[in-house]
Amino acid sequence: MDNNEKPVIELKNISKEFKVLNRHEGLKGSIRDLFSRDYRTVKAVDDVSMTVNQGEIVGYLGPNGAGKSTTIKMMTGVLEPTSGQILVRGNVPYLHRSENAQNIGVVFGQRSQLWWALPLIESFRILKDIYGISDQAYKDIQDLYRSLVDIEDLLHKPVRQMSLGQRTLSDILAAFLHDPAIVFLDEPTIGLDVSMKAKIRELICELNNKRNTTVILTTHDMGDVDALCRRIVIIDRGKKLYDNDIEHLKGFFGSYRTLKVRMDGDLKKKALKVQNEFPSLSVTGDDEWISVLVDESRDRVVDVLEKLQQSHNIKDMQLEEISTEEVIKKIYEGAASPSSDSEGA
Amino acid sequence: MDNKRGLFFYLKLYGKIVVQDIKSKMSYRADFIISTIGMVATNISGFIGFYILFRNFPSINGWTYDEMLFLYGFSLVSITPVQCLFDNNWSLRINVYTGDFIKYCFRPVNLFFYYQSEIFDIKGLGQLAFGIGTIIYAWSRIGLPVTFLAILKLIIFLSTASLVMIALQNAAAATCFWIQNSFYVLDLVNRFRDYAKYPITIFSPVFRFIFTFLFPIAFIAYYPSLVILRPNEIPLLTWLSPFIGAAFFYVSYRIWMYGAMRYNGTGS
Repeated sequence: MDNNEKPVIELKNISKEFKVLNRHEGLKGSIRDLFSRDYRTVKAVDDVSMTVNQGEIVGYLGPNGAGKSTTIKMMTGVLEPTSGQILVRGNVPYLHRSENAQNIGVVFGQRSQLWWALPLIESFRILKDIYGISDQAYKDIQDLYRSLVDIEDLLHKPVRQMSLGQRTLSDILAAFLHDPAIVFLDEPTIGLDVSMKAKIRELICELNNKRNTTVILTTHDMGDVDALCRRIVIIDRGKKLYDNDIEHLKGFFGSYRTLKVRMDGDLKKKALKVQNEFPSLSVTGDDEWISVLVDESRDRVVDVLEKLQQSHNIKDMQLEEISTEEVIKKIYEGAASPSSDSEGA
Repeated sequence: MDNKRGLFFYLKLYGKIVVQDIKSKMSYRADFIISTIGMVATNISGFIGFYILFRNFPSINGWTYDEMLFLYGFSLVSITPVQCLFDNNWSLRINVYTGDFIKYCFRPVNLFFYYQSEIFDIKGLGQLAFGIGTIIYAWSRIGLPVTFLAILKLIIFLSTASLVMIALQNAAAATCFWIQNSFYVLDLVNRFRDYAKYPITIFSPVFRFIFTFLFPIAFIAYYPSLVILRPNEIPLLTWLSPFIGAAFFYVSYRIWMYGAMRYNGTGS
């Protein structure tokens, strides 16, 4: 395989603009829209640069509508960037769609790319022809699959009779079949149960390990990120917000810790009261705990606790490190309202 | 888009996909039997309608019953390829609307080919058999000589007619890349196809012009079958029709691909 430090994807100052018709309301407005030339430009992706090396698993994160799909579509060659340069294994994807397709595999969590009526093994055979996979390589990859998952059950079942989990598993196997340099996984664990999620994550991890395949993973499930990604890239409103190791993430946006306290009475109501006492902190309550998210660069946990104790009868307490999920949530919220005080963190 | 892979590659691949598809369809026996019965019934009822019409009018505008029967069979055979091989055009609108179309964009094969290869409508084969039967019957009733040249002409002009039909459907289906409700366009083209069964001379000059140049359904059966039926009164357009058919097909393919390439997909 290739040298680990060789970049497989290079994005340089990529932007993508869409022209959107300014729509007017009501029937009169709709008729006006028919003839309207009143367009505005929306920047779906705004000056994004990044380099991905062979064998990396990169979590590509962002809230809905952040520009993730648009970036993926540009990397797969479906969309042409408005400006900037993309190279995928030295190819400009949009100009050489077929060559690029040979180098990549794509999985959409909700859209199977397999032949609906055919058993998986027949889909594999057709893919073998489409990608020109040699007999030896085809045999090798099947042996690898056999060692990783219980594939025999799947092979002879038509795709349409499969459960969502089996289908996703099959789609992932199909995407890796031609040994592509890069696989794009778009929300691969969406709608799956806990054990299936674990199985899928393990499979992706193993395939990345054995084949040194670069994986670009978009997901809203931080469990996927924690299990798979060493590096994450966060994008919002088309702009890149963060691109680094997952370990740096927690410190990068302030060092957050969650203070959990238990007291008498209805905790959900109490949580609202506490929120009023600490307007700058985010407070949530459930049946067991009141959780206060504390940014340690600004407030000390001890101070918060002391202040709480003055007005409430605290029966129990816990201190928790912030999870990736909470950090990401924090980042999304911060980016969504630029005037808020967490922006500068 | 893809020039490295030749015709042979695509034919072989298509054969494989179709064999698999037929195999899997046959495994649903009840479904297969019912749709076969439905197809036979459709053809018989179509023919009965035609028969009743000609009980009352023994000839239309100088065209005898047997000649009309030939035209009917000719149009049945010529619409078979579009029905069998390009049936996925009907789903294109839905695929584009829901964003599913994007899944066809990631394979290193020609997009048009890959999309159309997904569905092979086996029901069309019955229509093909019925159409061929009708042609043979009409041919013998009219008393046309059976020569190698005549059969060659028949095959060439049947292919021409099929190409025109395919071209019309491709272009109609491709409108969904630009407009939301392209179903009506596709449906309209499909309805106009019915007029292909009749000799164009029965229409007024305005429609004759429309059906020849704007909406070339006259090339589906009328102009090509003149070669067999009326070898002495062939208009120039008939001899040009194989080229026109090929040109129409190419143009429709380019339109389809152009639309597909500017497709953005929906968010996910």
